[in-house]
Amino acid sequence: MKRIWLLALIAVLGMAQAQKTVSLVWSGAITGPTSDVGAPYGAALEDYCKYANEQKLVPGYTLNCVIRDDQYQNPNAQRILEEALDKSKPVIYLGYSTGAMLQLKQLVNEIKLVTLPASAHIGLIDPPNTYMFLPTSSYSEQIVALLEYISKQNKGAKVALVVNPSPFGRAPVEDARKAAAQLGLNIVDVQEVGGNNLDNTALLKRLEGAGVEYIVHQNVAGPVANILKDAKKLGLDKKIQQLGAVYTGGNDLIRLAGEAAEGFLWASSYYLYDEDAPGIKLQKEISKKYGRPDAIAQSHNYTAGMLAASIAVEAMKRSVQRYGRIDKETVYNAIVSMNGPNAFKPGFAVSTKAGIEIDFTKSEQTGGEGLRVLQVKSGRFVSVTEPFISNLFRKVHGK
Amino acid sequence: MRNLWAQTGNYRTNYQQDTTIFASYREVVSLAVLLLGLLALPQFLSRSNVYVLDLILVYGIAVLGLNITTGYAGLINIGQAAFMGVGAYTAALLAPNLPFLLAIPLGGLVAAGVGAVVGIPSLRVKHLYLALATLAFQEIFVWTVGHAPLLKQGGAVEVPTGSFLGYAVGFRNHYHFWYYVILVFLVILAVAWRNLLRTRYGRALIAVRDNDRAADAMGMDPGRTKLMAFALGAFYAGIAGGIYAYLARAVVIEDFMLASSVKFLAMAIVGGLGTLVGSFLGPAFMQLLDLNMETLSNFIRSLGFNTSGVDIASALKPLTFGLVIVLFLMFEPRGLYNWWRLIRSYFRTWPFKY
Amino acid sequence: MQYFLQLVISGIVVGSIYALAALGFVLIYKASRVINFAHGQYIAIGAFSAYFFATGPKLPFVVSAFLALVLTAFLGFLTERIFLKKLVGQPIISVIMVTIGLASVLDGLMHLTPFGASNYTFPKFLPQGGVNLLGLQLDYAQLLAVAFTVLFLVLFSLFFQRSTLGIAMRAVADDQMASLSLGVSVEKMFALAWAAAGLTAAASGLVVGTIAGLNLGALTSIGLKVFPAVILGGLDSISGAVVGGLLIGVLEKLAEGYLDALVPGGGTSYVFPFVILLVVLWFKPHGLFGTEEIERV
Repeated sequence: MKRIWLLALIAVLGMAQAQKTVSLVWSGAITGPTSDVGAPYGAALEDYCKYANEQKLVPGYTLNCVIRDDQYQNPNAQRILEEALDKSKPVIYLGYSTGAMLQLKQLVNEIKLVTLPASAHIGLIDPPNTYMFLPTSSYSEQIVALLEYISKQNKGAKVALVVNPSPFGRAPVEDARKAAAQLGLNIVDVQEVGGNNLDNTALLKRLEGAGVEYIVHQNVAGPVANILKDAKKLGLDKKIQQLGAVYTGGNDLIRLAGEAAEGFLWASSYYLYDEDAPGIKLQKEISKKYGRPDAIAQSHNYTAGMLAASIAVEAMKRSVQRYGRIDKETVYNAIVSMNGPNAFKPGFAVSTKAGIEIDFTKSEQTGGEGLRVLQVKSGRFVSVTEPFISNLFRKVHGK
Repeated sequence: MRNLWAQTGNYRTNYQQDTTIFASYREVVSLAVLLLGLLALPQFLSRSNVYVLDLILVYGIAVLGLNITTGYAGLINIGQAAFMGVGAYTAALLAPNLPFLLAIPLGGLVAAGVGAVVGIPSLRVKHLYLALATLAFQEIFVWTVGHAPLLKQGGAVEVPTGSFLGYAVGFRNHYHFWYYVILVFLVILAVAWRNLLRTRYGRALIAVRDNDRAADAMGMDPGRTKLMAFALGAFYAGIAGGIYAYLARAVVIEDFMLASSVKFLAMAIVGGLGTLVGSFLGPAFMQLLDLNMETLSNFIRSLGFNTSGVDIASALKPLTFGLVIVLFLMFEPRGLYNWWRLIRSYFRTWPFKY
Repeated sequence: MQYFLQLVISGIVVGSIYALAALGFVLIYKASRVINFAHGQYIAIGAFSAYFFATGPKLPFVVSAFLALVLTAFLGFLTERIFLKKLVGQPIISVIMVTIGLASVLDGLMHLTPFGASNYTFPKFLPQGGVNLLGLQLDYAQLLAVAFTVLFLVLFSLFFQRSTLGIAMRAVADDQMASLSLGVSVEKMFALAWAAAGLTAAASGLVVGTIAGLNLGALTSIGLKVFPAVILGGLDSISGAVVGGLLIGVLEKLAEGYLDALVPGGGTSYVFPFVILLVVLWFKPHGLFGTEEIERV
């Protein structure tokens, strides 16, 4: 009898010993350009990892999360990934900037490493691609969805696109043009506006002169805020409705634009900090637990980081459950089978009508396709639509 | 009879001896040993470290070019990254149709042409004004790429890696393969750089730097000499850019912005302006500094100081980067090369004292 | 016409910011032949310190702004004392590179504060709305920009015309040897020029912060726009800096107004100042008001 206990003890000890380590790696702009996005995003990954280890979300495995600062520099991102490939052998890569991800796309496909970038540039998942997956809809899809939203309100409206002077900003322009043509919208102008746009009178006056009724932004919060303020000053805030994709909105926009943000429409896949969603509850719990300041804890970029981390952790968990091991191959299989009844529902992003939050297949590499249009009302974003999916995007993109 | 192994002084007695490259056999041997060491080096390093090494050498080539424009000719160039970008984009566009052995030098040539055009103001102005011309070029370059559909508006222009003479280049050997390619380019370019000074064009560069009026009086055209300095410097940058394009597998604009130009200048200063060894010591030093600061910030971050929103770790890199530049300029303006020189002069007569 | 006027007015507003920044830049260049690449960082420090005083100890905005001006001026003074003083007589590239290094150091220091990575706005201190000028709308923040520039211009010209110190500074700029032999402390003048430059940089930072909010990257990038302004105006001319700044502002806005529609993607206002810089260097290298260096063997 004693021997059995002994054996059991050995078995338990053996199990404890078998607590294996599995790595994921992220590098992004914790400092440097766009660090207002990168810092909360990275913080979320770090926190979610700690949380996952404490809660033992991946049975039998300890997560080793390599969270590094690449300062928005591509050579740094490349080196950090390569170093991780040599040392910690990650099974999943969470990337960041558009430029670095485009540069590394060839590599991650060659080495068959599942990659979830923070950038939602559509070029990342355009073929040839097998291993890049976007956690939520691409910038292009969001802009097309916004155009669909406009055409529902006002068929044949005149629209202007204002984009960031970078690959990030320019990504959706082509698809937007095609979608507008199908929707009967008239894209009057496409303009590039970056940070440090001190005075946008010229831009706004010209758009007003061209009879523009909607300005769709693909940008970061700073430039959009300045345009909103100038529009209010020129009395165009009622005349021209402004809308924007994921990185235009959030608390930063309200902080920067103040009252001028009133009425701005924002396409976002994520739940808001003041909403009652399971993911947001978790976000509050985790950020409080690890003592994050409000500026980070309440940022939608923190939510975005949480979502990316949760997808990665879920994929690992499923590969343990299904295959009893975690490697690049099983993680990939776990990711591409996250669909139908097996779709993933962490509650950070909105679900579509079918009740699906995050799903991937081999050919469909966008996770959360559902998004809502939110509007600033008395200083905070509130949802003005039900979650919806862009009908048109897949019909126009790449055609 | 001078000793061909140890050198205790300058025993050159005629012009013929003065034109020899190596003063003693010891120099020949040490160079051979260095080359052999460089050839063997990647065998002892992990893949990601070979990548770091590749980067150091590629930056070294760009800095070598900078050391022609800024070091030899004294023209401050705040646009070296843009010249590198010209080479990179040229190589990337040619890559699908040409072997890299042609695409990379062609990138260098195009960059040289652009360099000559940017240098045009040097026919009339000098010093600071020229620095600003290169700054303007840097900004214009970034904007132009952003508006060129051919260059994916700054997005990724992919560069196929493929194979070389039937030797497949892929994930495992990518950095090793390019290391040896870089080494070949490097040796050719470094020898050319060294020999530039032995030509009348090279001497003209220095003459114009030190006193352009006197150079003019002696029949050298300062304007043309400066143009040549720009073109040559840009040529080196273009080559570096071409190699970088292959190394990174895709060309995106972020690598060729003002920050990189500043980085190259810093590398040149830290290494020692106008020196061959410094052109590599500088990049190596700055790369290693960057790496160590990253490790240090990760360590600080792991201690968990970042809760109040004040991130010590994130400040480290810019802080040390700037401090290194400032401290070198204040206390060792001749750069790391000077330390190298001191070490070498100690060993020149070794084991003897004199 | 209305459109054109509107463009010119916004150009003047933006130009005033450049002019303010360029003013300090030229002061340094005039006094010590140093080109300051850290100017954008001083702009940012001025703006962030005003924000800090206004939100931390909750001082009235005018007081915070004043403190920010003084603090940044002092920082400029310190910079000269600690770093630049050691480099007198060194080649130009060393001096330029020191300012580049300083820019990075200051960036790092700002990352030690919460200001490194996020967006902020000044507490409201201006009333809403603005005035109507010839049918064009101008809000108070924009008027403030112009007013600040005029104020500093008047202050500096008075200072240089009337005060002994100002005259001494001009003397140093004109001929260091001669002023040394007449008992002017050249060193002191250098430091003073840096302090004055810090002051104007902070002033432009305040204006930018009021108009566009505070973001480290956006604030420091204004330091770059100073170069076209000073080259156009002439590197060593104070009035040239102001005219150059205003002109660059106006040309930038005109480019945006008329060229953007012609260029697919637009964004010409980002590149136009630098095109002007190159063209000026090609055809009139010493700018509108700069002194032409004549060299004779």
